[in-house]
Amino acid sequence: MNSRYGLAFILAGVSVLAGIAAFASVDDAQSFALQAAEPYVREGFQVREDYWGGDLAAGEKKAVRQQLFKGNEYWFWMGTEVNRAKISVHIYDKDGKLVEQSDSWQKGHFAAAHVVPASTDSYFIIVAIEESPEERTHWALVYGFR
Amino acid sequence: MIAVFKNSKWAGFTLTVVALSVQAASAPQQINVKQYKTVEDVVVPLPGEVFSALNKLGPVNWKEYVRTEKSANFSERPRTALLLGNVIADGFIAVQAQDAPAVKEIGQRVLTLAKGIGVGASITPHAKAITEAADKRKWENVRHELDRTQNSVQQAMNELQDQKLSQLVSLGGWLRGTQILTAVVNRHFTKEGAELLHQPDLLKYFSARLAGMPEYNVPVVESIKHALVEVRPLVDTESKPISPDAVKKINDITTRLDSEVVTR
Repeated sequence: MNSRYGLAFILAGVSVLAGIAAFASVDDAQSFALQAAEPYVREGFQVREDYWGGDLAAGEKKAVRQQLFKGNEYWFWMGTEVNRAKISVHIYDKDGKLVEQSDSWQKGHFAAAHVVPASTDSYFIIVAIEESPEERTHWALVYGFR
Repeated sequence: MIAVFKNSKWAGFTLTVVALSVQAASAPQQINVKQYKTVEDVVVPLPGEVFSALNKLGPVNWKEYVRTEKSANFSERPRTALLLGNVIADGFIAVQAQDAPAVKEIGQRVLTLAKGIGVGASITPHAKAITEAADKRKWENVRHELDRTQNSVQQAMNELQDQKLSQLVSLGGWLRGTQILTAVVNRHFTKEGAELLHQPDLLKYFSARLAGMPEYNVPVVESIKHALVEVRPLVDTESKPISPDAVKKINDITTRLDSEVVTR
């Protein structure tokens, strides 16, 4: 390939990628959170249509306050469209005690936390972008119960 | 939302990779939750969520709580928004009762109310899906469509910069759900059933939202503001159990409010 065409090709590719990054949104992050939820739907979890989302810098955390009911079992699934990001989600009670089950997990741009509430109350779901190549990383959190 | 699953051909591959290489999450055992910024909006639980917990405490005769009679139509948008939330909650009750005719009627009622408030277009496919799922007695699908209906109504309202109306839809559903929860627990009192009312932060959230709606100066909104103040000490009991008296009082209050929401 002619070097001028090659350069143009590379620049065009970079532009397309930059465009994709610019248009990526919380909705994209939500679709990844939903992918993480999919196997649990087959296990009888009802996934709520509603979700939380936003963008955070690497190392930044945010809390989501959520009313949970004793008797139900909940999973919270988090996702981001940034493939090389590492994210996490954890569940604490009002007193700041970690209450999630040991099968909660995180893997790259997916994370999930499982809780069987010991009491009906509000709980804190702490979401974090642990690492990311992006300045700001979109995230979304969905939840399901059964 | 579930449609995303169906359309993501590579979802299965991604999930397989995740399943094979998942890591246990490590997190501090204790944190100071006050140090974190919170996401502003609280996701209000659906009535179906509390009904699911209630169902686990023993059998409930849900048919007794099904309501299909048509409520009044209102010209005031905040009243229609509250009623819309209330009728969607009735849909969840009809699902619990597995009452297909009631579900279908409620689906049509939701559509009429949504049209009245200018968001009918986003609801039409859900109303159709509710009817089809009810005909096939696919209750999980009906429940999911009711959730999607509420979400679509609220999204459409948010797009019209009507976030406050959207919050009133949630409030209407929560009030009707709480009325039924207290009716069930009041009939066969258990400490566990009463504990489901322990929702002081949601009450604070609704009170704060209503305080930010001075333009919605309609009597029912004023009544709800006062009622939330009455209910809060009854459910904010710290570690003490919620008493049978408190459950009865909350049922009286929410029944009174329900009557204000549905009648002219």
